[in-house]
Amino acid sequence: MTRPISWFVVALTFVIAIILELVALPDMFSALRPEWLVLTQTYWLLRRPDKIGIASAFAIGIVMDVLTGSYLGIHSLALCIVSYLVLGMHKRFRMYPVVQQAFVLFLLTGTQLMIVYGLRATLSVAENGFDYLWQAVISAFVWPILILIYDRLSFTFR
Amino acid sequence: MGYRLAMALIFSVILIVLDVRFSQLDPVRNVLSSSLTPFQWLSDFPQKLGNGITFIFASREELEAELDVMRDRMLVLERQSQKLASVTAELNRLRELLSASRLLDEGVVVTELVGASPDPDNQYILIDKGLSDGVVVGQAVLDENGLMGQVIEVNEFRSRVLLISDNRHAVPVQVNRNGMRAIAYGVGSLDYLELGNVPDTADVQVGDLLVSSGLGGRFPRGYPVARISRIEHHPGQAFATVNAKPEAHLNRSRLLLLVFKEKEVRAVSSADIANELGNLEAAEGVDQGAERVIESAGEEMR
Repeated sequence: MTRPISWFVVALTFVIAIILELVALPDMFSALRPEWLVLTQTYWLLRRPDKIGIASAFAIGIVMDVLTGSYLGIHSLALCIVSYLVLGMHKRFRMYPVVQQAFVLFLLTGTQLMIVYGLRATLSVAENGFDYLWQAVISAFVWPILILIYDRLSFTFR
Repeated sequence: MGYRLAMALIFSVILIVLDVRFSQLDPVRNVLSSSLTPFQWLSDFPQKLGNGITFIFASREELEAELDVMRDRMLVLERQSQKLASVTAELNRLRELLSASRLLDEGVVVTELVGASPDPDNQYILIDKGLSDGVVVGQAVLDENGLMGQVIEVNEFRSRVLLISDNRHAVPVQVNRNGMRAIAYGVGSLDYLELGNVPDTADVQVGDLLVSSGLGGRFPRGYPVARISRIEHHPGQAFATVNAKPEAHLNRSRLLLLVFKEKEVRAVSSADIANELGNLEAAEGVDQGAERVIESAGEEMR
């Protein structure tokens, strides 16, 4: 699994993930948007746990905070915690069948969303239920497809 | 790894606290945000592309029909604005008689929407004017139907506009029919705002137009904000639940107007003008009746 990866593809996928997080969608779909950043971060972390880790998670989180106009540090905090969880189990994670991987991804994106929305609710008057967990469900379903696409991409641009 | 995580967590928490409590991080955010403008541009690209495609495939007849509708509307609006000039002049003359402050007309600049919030709980839009166009935090943004929101963050080329429907937003309004004042709170839904603390016996009816009252000093006065859509009386409680539907098309308008206040509104009474002009005239050695002076001052101010 430690095949060499092209940094061009890594950068490209992160840029696309950020854009997909920002693209305006109708309200209905917007509540079902997968957490592209968590998925992308997890994928590359599993490929190169020595290079992609907490530092990159922090940087990408800050970028996300600036772009969405939330308080600086919220996304980076959540993404760092998720990356740490993945780092702790990356050796086992690769052995999991894809269904189990998707389930773990559900838990990871759920964690990330809960941190982000929880912090936002504490820091401002925003109030919301747990509807955002649908995003985690969708993320889990997207994971197997995403692996295929990213594998193909990094194979093409070796 | 645990060590790195601890560092990252501490750093994030420091950032959050700094950002929530103090404003030292604003320059950092501005620089980052300006340099990340390409992302915002790219995230708007699909929508731009979609609009472009629909434009290419629009048939000639459709475009001609649209043009006709627009011509008609322009005629109607021009007729209205013919009267507006004289009515405004008359209003200002009357206000001068009352020694009240003159109503200044605001300047507007057309701006385009270039991005919207990806998150329904956090309602903002991005517009394509920034520091380089003289935008400042707090400016009001309108569309052709009414008030949209206010600028909350400015970078070099873009500004972030908080919509009136966001649940952190409130706008002071008054009922156009009778002048009753209230505050319209956003609730996080694009469909309605909520009027706070309206007495159960207050004179509001479904269909009443709410206009901005200008009392907070932030929004210009007299722009339509919302129309009352639902009133619910609760027996035994002091306040009624009043909902109003925003007049602006919060999620559809792409061309928006950014309001620039010409200058700070200050009380200009006829006496002030007479004084000022009197001094001027005295210096030039010309003697004129105070009445004439007031008249010409009125003309000049216009």
